Amino acid sequence: MSAPRDITGDAPSKVARITEHLRNEWQLYVMLLPTIIWFIVFLYKPMYGLQIAFKDYSIFRGVANSPWVGLEHFHTLFGSDQFLRAIKNTIIISFLSLCFGFPMPIILALMFNEITHQLFKKTAQTIVYLPHFISTVIIAGIVMTAFSPSAGIVNTFIQWLGFEPIYFLIKPEWFRPIFIGSGIWQEAGFSSIVFLAAIAGVSPSLYESAVVDGASRWQMMWKITLPSILPTIIIMLIIRIGNLLEVGFELIILLYQPSTYETGDVINTLIYRQGLQGAQYDLAAAAGLFNAVVAFVLVMTANTISKRYSRTSLW
Amino acid sequence: MSGVQLNGIIKAYGAVQVVHGIDLEVNEKEFVVLVGPSGCGKSTTLRMIAGLEEISGGELTIDERVMNRVSPKDRDVAMVFQNYALYPHLNVADNMAFGLRIRKESKADIDAAVKEVAGILGLEDYLERRPADLSGGQRQRVAMGRAIVRRPKVFLFDEPLSNLDAKLRTQMRAEIKRLHKRLGVTSIYVTHDQVEAMTLADRIVVMNDGRIEQVGTPMELFLNPANSFVAGFLGAPPMNQVKAVITGGDTSPVASFKGQKLKLPALAGLQNAEGREVIVGIRPEYADVVTQPEDGSVSCELDLVETLGSEALLHMSLGGDPFVIRTDTLGRMADLDAVNGFTVKPDLIKVFDADTGVALSGQTRVA
Repeated sequence: MSAPRDITGDAPSKVARITEHLRNEWQLYVMLLPTIIWFIVFLYKPMYGLQIAFKDYSIFRGVANSPWVGLEHFHTLFGSDQFLRAIKNTIIISFLSLCFGFPMPIILALMFNEITHQLFKKTAQTIVYLPHFISTVIIAGIVMTAFSPSAGIVNTFIQWLGFEPIYFLIKPEWFRPIFIGSGIWQEAGFSSIVFLAAIAGVSPSLYESAVVDGASRWQMMWKITLPSILPTIIIMLIIRIGNLLEVGFELIILLYQPSTYETGDVINTLIYRQGLQGAQYDLAAAAGLFNAVVAFVLVMTANTISKRYSRTSLW
Repeated sequence: MSGVQLNGIIKAYGAVQVVHGIDLEVNEKEFVVLVGPSGCGKSTTLRMIAGLEEISGGELTIDERVMNRVSPKDRDVAMVFQNYALYPHLNVADNMAFGLRIRKESKADIDAAVKEVAGILGLEDYLERRPADLSGGQRQRVAMGRAIVRRPKVFLFDEPLSNLDAKLRTQMRAEIKRLHKRLGVTSIYVTHDQVEAMTLADRIVVMNDGRIEQVGTPMELFLNPANSFVAGFLGAPPMNQVKAVITGGDTSPVASFKGQKLKLPALAGLQNAEGREVIVGIRPEYADVVTQPEDGSVSCELDLVETLGSEALLHMSLGGDPFVIRTDTLGRMADLDAVNGFTVKPDLIKVFDADTGVALSGQTRVA
């Protein structure tokens, strides 16, 4: 008589399960590899260099051999009027960009969705997508030309109305509206693609059901389209909040000048001027670290709030 | 009268016509099922009634009012969709109240109507839940609730049970039947499932290729199919159809096929019809199995036995063509493997013209 078999059987260990999984799905991990390498090389490895925010860094001594100075650079930063002004400007520009720039792609997507004439729809979409593909330098050139006091189209129009030309680009009060407006003009169309894709995912039967119930196109947009793409809107909002302090500084550098620092100098431009132009790498690293920590707190907060109230979250 | 009349209804997409002049009258409180294979135009017809598709030709009247140019909201119809079409961001109560809110009814009326319908459908405990938190059957009930709550003149159902599993489908079928009895609202129901059609309908409309093949009560269509298409579509399994040639004498015609003979009913169309090509239709449940050749039996080979419990389906090969027999299993299971033929009473056989597929006259049977 043979010995009774152990019918309970031991569950495979976690390592065995992972090995089995990797053996079966290795192709997926091979495809994932370039992204992982990119993250390691460009995002995780540079984190090693973050320590210079706490060191008196010298390029001759290197990262490891530079002496520790604790929070000295942070004390310097927060004692600096320039840094406090940069924080204030960053927050104001980011907040205004969020308020005016974030809804614009959603509005555009909703408007495109209502266009029934296909040729008109495609033409309109192409026109609003195009600025995204133009180099920031060209955009800055276009802005400077458009707002030029001598030959700019804006001032030509102002003069045509009988007013004096305005020197937009050297007046601090005009810097933010011009920067935010040009950013919206450049990116709103392209950003609307995400929302258009979300709208395309809404089941047509929801609209048909609403039509039978008697809903108008306006009601359908408010009561079906917008709530249906709300999860996408929230995800994009969380991502946007995470990048709140990452103001597109290339355009600022190209547009601002000492006379508009008062309203246009943001953390990133300050880091650029101090770190690269002033060779204060440690101070710039401290400012960058502060920026990253604030962004992390913001994205965590937004994600938690969204998860609690809308059931939608990044993770 | 909340009836629906379709007079010569046509639907065309450009030069392609998909519904070719349908005439149908649905009486008040009647439950009519449009059934047919995929692409036969049944859903398109339903959508034309709902106003979701423009009518290319003909006239649609609901409650004696021409509806061709009337917008969907003014037709006073409610539709239940195949995928439920529930708004994912609204809870059950808000989904059901959606149509009433659009029509700007008072909050008190809306709350009362939702509460009443939720009670009818057993949804009281789920009113605060969102569709994602419901099972398939519960979602289907909500979809029906949303239609019922509006108290429309006509209910339109577009394959509402096709996303449910077999058990739930049977359960929901019974619920729809009960609801119709209780509410007594004119209903038009589209399905490709002939079991749903047979069990739910007061009358069935069999459609094929954009045309109506036959209209009648389930038993009328089952017993007296107008043509071989209807005969092959209704019944599970469908009617066996064998091409044959008439070889019999003047008064007792015989069908010859695959080297075998089968006595046919003495129909007028088969008198002096030597050489006429026909289709012989035999329902799987009307064939009696034999294990030894008998006088008048047809020989065939057994391929497979599918046991259903109280019954079994015998998949036979009749000269290379499939032939299915449904038979009882009680006390006979052991003999089923030995089946090698069948007999069938001549008056249970249906005969169709081989060229047109139309049933020969004189075969009407009553349930």
